[in-house]
Amino acid sequence: MASISSRRLAKELREIQSEGCPVGISLLEANDFAKWLFTIEVMGDSVYQGEVYTLQFRFDSHYPISSPAVQFVVTDGKEAPIHPHVYSNGHICASILGNEWSPVLSVIAVCVTLQSMLASCKKKERPTDNDRYVRNAPENPKKTLFHYDGEHYNFKSTYLQD
Amino acid sequence: MTTRVPTVKDLRVKLCYICREEERADDPPSDDPPREWTHPCNCTLIAHEQCLLRWIQTSQSTASRAPNALKCPQCGTAYEMESKNTIVLRGLALGNKVLQRLGRYLTVAGVASVVAVIGTSVYACLTAYGAWAVKKFIGDEMFNLILTDDPVNWPWSAYINLPLIPLSLIFARFSDAGTSMIIPLLLVWPPSSPVGDGGRRLVEYWTRPENATQLASASASLTPSAKYWPPPPVFFGLFAFPFLRVFYQRCYAKLYQRLLGTPLPVPRRMQREGLRFDEGPFVIRIRAQFDDAGGQGAGANANAQPPEGQDQADAPAPAPAVAAAADAAAGDNADPNAAVVQAAEQLIEVDASSLGRRIGGALVVPVISSIVGGVLLELARHSRWLRVFLGVREGWHMPLPPWGRFALTASDKTWAQMGTMQQARVAARILMTAFLGGSRTWIDSDPVWWRNGVGFALFVAVKDGVQLLHLWLAKRELESRRVKDRDFSGVDVRELDLLPSFFRRATP
Repeated sequence: MASISSRRLAKELREIQSEGCPVGISLLEANDFAKWLFTIEVMGDSVYQGEVYTLQFRFDSHYPISSPAVQFVVTDGKEAPIHPHVYSNGHICASILGNEWSPVLSVIAVCVTLQSMLASCKKKERPTDNDRYVRNAPENPKKTLFHYDGEHYNFKSTYLQD
Repeated sequence: MTTRVPTVKDLRVKLCYICREEERADDPPSDDPPREWTHPCNCTLIAHEQCLLRWIQTSQSTASRAPNALKCPQCGTAYEMESKNTIVLRGLALGNKVLQRLGRYLTVAGVASVVAVIGTSVYACLTAYGAWAVKKFIGDEMFNLILTDDPVNWPWSAYINLPLIPLSLIFARFSDAGTSMIIPLLLVWPPSSPVGDGGRRLVEYWTRPENATQLASASASLTPSAKYWPPPPVFFGLFAFPFLRVFYQRCYAKLYQRLLGTPLPVPRRMQREGLRFDEGPFVIRIRAQFDDAGGQGAGANANAQPPEGQDQADAPAPAPAVAAAADAAAGDNADPNAAVVQAAEQLIEVDASSLGRRIGGALVVPVISSIVGGVLLELARHSRWLRVFLGVREGWHMPLPPWGRFALTASDKTWAQMGTMQQARVAARILMTAFLGGSRTWIDSDPVWWRNGVGFALFVAVKDGVQLLHLWLAKRELESRRVKDRDFSGVDVRELDLLPSFFRRATP
């Protein structure tokens, strides 16, 4: 009997394949239940117009009780978007990936939230502590205890109203 | 008629918001036992009870997530938990929380007490040293009167003054004032009145009828010289000593100039090189700032020299240091004599700059005073003049009480019974005693402090003299240096281009 984690991921994958991803998001790779890749693009008017980023999800065996490890891919010539909450190593400071993760969220929900996080950005800039963080950052962003400020709550509530 | 309210059991399709498994009422799963469903909030989310409990439990064990653990992620309704949460369990949980907080306080308290313990032991050491230094300096007899070995008897001021003694001794050693600050420091003590036991013994002794009658004659019998010599310690420390010190420094500077042919340099090593100590293999350097490149060169070269244990007299002079020092001196002082003296000073300094030597030297001052004072006392046995100068009191007797007769007779009359003149006299005397000290007890006692002070002054004078001699000899050695000239024996004459006059002399 497959674990809860893989049963749920299988179901999410089936839904993606049958219903398709939301606009601007597409599944790039999902060969197993450990790592998935998506491309993400902000549609319409935004500072990221025409830029496509790659988002990586890593799941452990306790998903969805434990949150997925989500980051932008910065290898193979790919880059993380320049955003006040995205570090240059691809790590993302977002509360829904940390203390506000909930099993009610899904892979696609996270993608949509991050997409709206990019869309609401007015000015391209790195987090103020980018250099310091990138120098000492753990490989897995889940091991970082981010401090979340008000902006994150804003886009979270945006998602929940959908 | 009441409206029926549906429950989770009435749903046709149940979807767990956690594991996303579906269960249809017309197609019950074969799970055994069947998994329970729950609807914990006000919105449409439902979940397997097991899934939800696991989620809540996981969240609760992470501090940052705990606040959201018992809340619906969608509608925010608080989940209501039912469990065997007995009073005992709740009490235990509360106790755990209290202990956790107590533990935090305990950590702070622990660190604080470690700091306090270290601080207290340092303080105790400093105070013990201070008491010992005072004892050495003023002699056992006086020490037992004004301080005693038992800290219980000490006046409160002792707990401030005593620990300051070693600190001041060490500090004095590193400041320009030098050792000269030390004596006034030790003289703070004499004016204080006898404490505790000592004082009681004194008063008891003189209030005994058979002794009381002698008091008048005893104070009258003090020879005039004994009354005014040695000078009262406070007077001496505050007024006479600074004067003597300036006088001594002038004399020293004159002697220095006459002997070494260059004026005594203003102490400036501090500003130029900072402090430097050679500790065998280590060099401790407290660097100020360099005024010029010359000073830097001299410092660096001095560093390169072998550290300790070289006899100056026959050690080969490290030429670079001499040259660099000469350069440095030449920069701001054209006097060649000064350059040589500075070079000689540097040579000596290399051997005399251990930190331990400085601190040890500072802390050993009371012993030196005591030893030289003892030697002086021994010498005084054979010289009447020295006996008078040191104010040695023959034999031991009970010293007079602090305020002389007044201490014992004042109780005869109350303040109100006295005449105006008498009141004024009493007041003046109290003031004098409080400020100038040199109380009767001190005047009447064997002035150990005086001969120790004189002894230390002698020691300083001799030490300065020896240093001056050392400097003078080192300077003479530097000036008299010549490289020994040799003839060309052992060299083939044909390799040398020689004057014709040589061959004229060589051929018979």
